[in-house]
Amino acid sequence: MITLSHLSCCFGEKQILHDINFHVGEGDFYAILGANGCGKTTLLRCIAGLLTPNSGEVNISPSGGEATERPIASFSARELAQRIAFVRQHAQTDFEFSGFETVLMGRNPYQRRLQNESQADWDIVEQCMRHTNTWHLRFSRPHEMSGGELQRVMIARALAQSTPIILLDEPTSNLDIAHQFDIMELLCDINAREHKTILLVVHDLNLALQYCPQALLLHDKGILAHGATSEVLAPDNIRTAFGVEAEPQQGHLSLRPMTKQL
Amino acid sequence: MKRPVAVLLLAVLLLAAMVGCSMMGVVRFTWQEMWHSPIFWQLRMPRIVLSVMVGATLSVCGAAYQSVFRNPLTDPYVLGISSGASLGAAIAIIAGLQAYLWGIGSCALLTALLTVLFIYRIASIGNRMHTTTLLLTGVCLTFLITAVISFLMVLHHDKMESIIFWTMGSFASSSWFDVALVAPVTLAGVFMVLYHSKDLNLLLAGSETAQGLGVEVEKVKRRLLFFTTLMVAFAVSSCGVIGFVGLVVPHCVRLVTGPDNRRVVPYSIFVGGLFMLMCDTLARTVLQPSELPVGSLTALVGAPLFIYLLYKNKKRI
Repeated sequence: MITLSHLSCCFGEKQILHDINFHVGEGDFYAILGANGCGKTTLLRCIAGLLTPNSGEVNISPSGGEATERPIASFSARELAQRIAFVRQHAQTDFEFSGFETVLMGRNPYQRRLQNESQADWDIVEQCMRHTNTWHLRFSRPHEMSGGELQRVMIARALAQSTPIILLDEPTSNLDIAHQFDIMELLCDINAREHKTILLVVHDLNLALQYCPQALLLHDKGILAHGATSEVLAPDNIRTAFGVEAEPQQGHLSLRPMTKQL
Repeated sequence: MKRPVAVLLLAVLLLAAMVGCSMMGVVRFTWQEMWHSPIFWQLRMPRIVLSVMVGATLSVCGAAYQSVFRNPLTDPYVLGISSGASLGAAIAIIAGLQAYLWGIGSCALLTALLTVLFIYRIASIGNRMHTTTLLLTGVCLTFLITAVISFLMVLHHDKMESIIFWTMGSFASSSWFDVALVAPVTLAGVFMVLYHSKDLNLLLAGSETAQGLGVEVEKVKRRLLFFTTLMVAFAVSSCGVIGFVGLVVPHCVRLVTGPDNRRVVPYSIFVGGLFMLMCDTLARTVLQPSELPVGSLTALVGAPLFIYLLYKNKKRI
């Protein structure tokens, strides 16, 4: 579905990612983990085609399945938007489109200019909003919604894009714990029911452990570990990546700062 | 109300207003006289057509800029087009080019385009256009050019009045020649902005979001800026700097229609044209036979209207 080969990325002189090689299969649900500034968001933006890597390339399958992958540089913005949906970290609120109009924008990659939305578009939007439990927000303006509601509207828009791949950049930060569970349950449901490939940047290791079957741990410009989340989040890996002591307890991690050696 | 119906209604209203306004003025005539009157055909009609086109241009470009720059305070002059044009006009007036057909206009057009070109050069990094740099450079250059113009005026006392009068904007000397120059650019530009109105909505949500939703952001941005720049440059060169319209008409429309540019852009064409027509008619009739500068009237009439609309719609801001 997605293959990264020899991906390297720098900002000016500073190398962010170095020689990343990785493959994501169809229907995978990956948590991308790592300390602040380790390149999680950069990686996601490269996959979304928002950032051009300095070397290496990102390949995705043009139609679902594992069939012949193509570098994303060969897709037009429109073609890419029919395959990858990206939910940003900070949902923007400084415009006054209603919830319905916002989700309807997700249909843009399927519309021609000067063309109005079809009944099919409206049906898809309603379905996506009902699925994400945001249908009651269809007339609300962004400033009338809570952070959790706005985030769900953004996920509804990503669903309305009808893409096989959804990327999310910290969708649960800034939300209280109940809403974090809410969003994660929703993503699991989307992954299970619609078989969408999901890559998710998340900071809460326990949230990842609880909901994401697979994880990718970034450290020092490269991949430290990947595979089943419980194995990736071994105490050794956590110590290397975050400098934090971890102790697994019945499918849960107990975390504490490393004791300083005096 | 359905969009086509509303647009049709506005178009009819605009046409009616154009006919109505052409009847007003120092010289009054009946319907029969009107068809044979050179005053009607050679003075009033070109003036009315030009004012409608300029009003539409400024409003549509204002709407486009506010979405492209995602900033409600931008107007069509924010990139320094107006100051660039004023500099050209000042030079032309000092050099005595008024005597020639479009002597001031061509100078103004040239300097306006050069100014914007200079700003684009500075603000493009690789093939991307950095919008904040674009805005800041525009504002800064405006100050610089204004200073140069003041300096020119001090050096040429005798021309000061005509320079100031030009910068306040006026349709008094409009001719069919102006109309013929401005019309093609206006038509092409308005069509371009209309064509991209859905993209403008997505740009309003942020350029990365727009990219993610299938808009070729840099391409669309460059195309829109190219056409709007040409439109505004031609408009300013033909009639001088008329402020306020481009800033406020799109906002007034938005207060009624909401932020969707597929409504804001078409309505702005007619509301902008209508507003400019009204202001110009006032400018030439209130103090007959002398004229008020239309640039000051737009703000005088428009500002209270806009503040009233803001007040009435308090909840939505």
